Amino acid sequence: MGMSRIECIFFSEFHPTLGPKITYQVPEEYISRELFDTVQVYIITKPELQNKLITVTAMGKKLIGCPVCIEHKKYSRNALLFNLGLVCDARTKTCALEPIVKKLSGYLTTLELESGFISKEESKQKLLPIMSTLLEELNATGACTLPIDESNTINLKLIEQRRDPLIVQEYDVPVFTQCKDHFIKSQWDLTTQQILAYIDGFRHIQKISAEADVELNLVRIAVQNLLYYGVVTLVSIFQYSNVYCTTPTVQSLIDDRSIQEECLNYVTKKGQKRACLRDVFQLYCGLTPGTTVRDLCSRYSQQLQRVDERRLIQYGLMKALIRRLQKYPVKVTRDERSRPPRLYTGCHSYDEICCKTGMSYKELDERLENDPNIIVCWK
Amino acid sequence: MYIHSSSFDLQGERKSMYKQSENSFFKCGEKTSPISVILVTSGSRGNKLLFRYPFQRVADCTSSLTTKQRSPYALNTTGDVLEDPDGDSREQTPLTDEQLVAGFSDIILATILATKSDMCGKKFELKIDNVRFVGHPTLLQHPHTIQVSKTDPSPKREMPTMILFSVVFALRANADPSVISCMHNLSRRIAIALQHEERRCQYLTREAKLMLAVQDEVTNMTETDGSPQSPFRQILPKCKLARDLKEAYDSLCTTGVVRLHINNWLEVSFCLPHKIHRVGGNHVPPEALERSLKAIRPYHALLLLDSEKALLAQLPLDCSPALVRLIKTCSAVKNLQQLAQDADLNLLQIFQIAAHLVYWGKAIIVYPLCENNVYMLSPHANISLYSPLAEAFGQQFPGHDLPSMLAKFSLPLSLSEFRNPLDASVQEAQLIQMVVWMLQRRLLIQLHTYVCLLVPPSEEEPGLLRDEELPLVARVGGRSLSTPSALSFGSPTSSDDMTLTSPSMDNSSAELLPGGDSPLNRRMTETLLASLTEHERQVILNIPAAQSPEDLRMFARLLHYFRGHHHLEEIMYNENMRRSQLKTLFDKFRSVLVVTNHEDPVISLFQSPLE
Repeated sequence: MGMSRIECIFFSEFHPTLGPKITYQVPEEYISRELFDTVQVYIITKPELQNKLITVTAMGKKLIGCPVCIEHKKYSRNALLFNLGLVCDARTKTCALEPIVKKLSGYLTTLELESGFISKEESKQKLLPIMSTLLEELNATGACTLPIDESNTINLKLIEQRRDPLIVQEYDVPVFTQCKDHFIKSQWDLTTQQILAYIDGFRHIQKISAEADVELNLVRIAVQNLLYYGVVTLVSIFQYSNVYCTTPTVQSLIDDRSIQEECLNYVTKKGQKRACLRDVFQLYCGLTPGTTVRDLCSRYSQQLQRVDERRLIQYGLMKALIRRLQKYPVKVTRDERSRPPRLYTGCHSYDEICCKTGMSYKELDERLENDPNIIVCWK
Repeated sequence: MYIHSSSFDLQGERKSMYKQSENSFFKCGEKTSPISVILVTSGSRGNKLLFRYPFQRVADCTSSLTTKQRSPYALNTTGDVLEDPDGDSREQTPLTDEQLVAGFSDIILATILATKSDMCGKKFELKIDNVRFVGHPTLLQHPHTIQVSKTDPSPKREMPTMILFSVVFALRANADPSVISCMHNLSRRIAIALQHEERRCQYLTREAKLMLAVQDEVTNMTETDGSPQSPFRQILPKCKLARDLKEAYDSLCTTGVVRLHINNWLEVSFCLPHKIHRVGGNHVPPEALERSLKAIRPYHALLLLDSEKALLAQLPLDCSPALVRLIKTCSAVKNLQQLAQDADLNLLQIFQIAAHLVYWGKAIIVYPLCENNVYMLSPHANISLYSPLAEAFGQQFPGHDLPSMLAKFSLPLSLSEFRNPLDASVQEAQLIQMVVWMLQRRLLIQLHTYVCLLVPPSEEEPGLLRDEELPLVARVGGRSLSTPSALSFGSPTSSDDMTLTSPSMDNSSAELLPGGDSPLNRRMTETLLASLTEHERQVILNIPAAQSPEDLRMFARLLHYFRGHHHLEEIMYNENMRRSQLKTLFDKFRSVLVVTNHEDPVISLFQSPLE
């Protein structure tokens, strides 16, 4: 649904004689008498609910507000109660709008405390054009900057909510989802700037940390941050001894024209004319359990004339057309006297063990192949 | 009014198996578990909170802000209530679930949750800071009748009457929308049962009276003794409804299966799919589950996750005999079509019951076990030496360990290969049992063969993505292979308009007349090949195998399967062909076909979580 669309902004207050009412709303007459009657208990609330973000759904609409109460002898009934809220369709996701409502309530509270903005009739009238502008700009661009008076300006921005990123491991390899030069480097923090040059889709976190001379955990956090914003995605370390297999998603290369275009452009060797779909699809389908990349290269040398196999694998992983089969050693039998296995439990892949212990794949393979107590699972 | 009659309890092996992972249930359970259950009513006596669980902690209020905010008619003057100590939104430490809801006093909850009557009969959703309340307020009396009596100048009525009530669940605000939807569903079901019992024998009024009496009693005691007590703790032993609500809450937080008997009479059953369908640490969203269930074909099979005996023991006395028959006749080697014949039910019924069993986590959909099935280790399988699965396997199959068995499936292995082990100590039957055991625990995935037509590009304009290279699917326009006769299916907890498609049997391509190279056959072949481009047609016709009219005809007939979405077994089923026939055909035309193996995306849902 993209950006949450605001249907209406309303300003409600507790009138000393008329009780809870809507003083202003844009567009006019959006909230019916009936709707307000139903939800007013959530708009102008009891003291216990004040300063809380309240979202209520009724009659197909969602109302988000934050009731404010300012107590002072000068007000009739010794308190000023108001609420500036937003109205959306009931099906809209409104999480991103909540900080906006909270901020607005804060602004109005400040304005009232500083200059009686709301309690004075002349200044209160300014609310209507302010609300109009807010509605227009927030819906159009998701941001709004509005000076209210000499000393106060409203700055609002709709921030998109994203999913929590995965934990980044030292054996993960970050790869840019778009061309690196797309990003304005100076906008990023210093750590990220320092490691950017080393993110090439082949260096894993540990290697980046060593070569860029940045502490490992800082690199992990920086990459996790990039992951959160969708700037990079994670793939696994590339080696010619790796084994991959296809996923059902590989068919999207056949079904989806845009993925085809993107893929063929990505995997073609530099300087060569574009590889053809058949060759690339055959290559992906040639990846099976038990087949290493080296095997693929020797079997499909003709198809690989115009294709860079490293980028082929990289693209396949990024788009989940293929997945990596990792090796997990498990120590199934052991002497009573020997220590229980720490790394050979089936929970740690070769990638992880090699990273942690500094051994190479070959060394680890040699060590384990000769041990009759250890079996290896691939998954 | 239909209260669903067959329901299940989770028992036996499953419980012990999940003991270790129950901790993870609790840890990541916040998102799928409720924080609290609350019962409120509105009536002539105003809004009241009758019951809430878990109980509030009893503590003294320290903040002056809260004393100012205290409602003038607070009954619990000696601090029966734990208020939010800061009252401001910038907390240093995140509040626990209990504190989040405990921060709301009974009075305020009664005010905000007992809605106006025009919000009744619909989903009620209210979010306050980090708590989301969801319920289904239900009218007990028509508001119209109340108005009449209000204008009645005659003396006050003797009995205070209840106008509406609501069973509300409090959740964390970031709960998944499907979880919120499910909780609302449960609230509605309980409401239906309570409304029925109220009309029949004033059950709710009686329980409400009891609860309020206890609350009054405890308040009086508190005022005289000065010792703070929670009235709700006293209500539990006295009110069946309170115990039911507590049980619902506890079940939702643990197993996800709720089974209540309102007034010891009406059964309300419910399952939270998010707790039942957890694969690889993530829950399977109900919509994905429903999509998969709609795509089941007659050649699939139903694999029960419990033993037949255990399942039958869980069924209530009044369950449908069709369900019992199905459970008794079902087997991992029998496909649904055969099951329909053996159980003497029609296919649609089989589909419905199968979907029902799957939804409740009692069965999964697999391809029927046979020699040629190829299995591989699932990427989400837990192969840890110390997993509870490993332990259970060792108990079930003494002398064997799970990791060694799983290692055998590191490379794709067919059942026939698996059954010829080098060591003859293992019985063949036991091997099959092991495979079934591993399938039930989602440790294995089955691989199928998919075929795609891709013709080598012509030499003249290489490198350009001409229209020629547009895959067949884009040109043919996706011919539908089954004509679904969608039927409405009221699964107990899914939305009421979930439909199942029952593919009609006449979905194989037209039976071509026998008789070799008759003109009719030739024309049919030409028609079928007409959807190809000139270049493709040329290439295909130049293949040596195409010289044989039989082979070419078969190829043309199967052309629409060659877009990578139909696996070998499906083609075999639809076209009534043998595996060997198909494999030979693929081999003959291998220069234009690309073959790959992967899991069936339709049923792979049961092996792997969705992104």
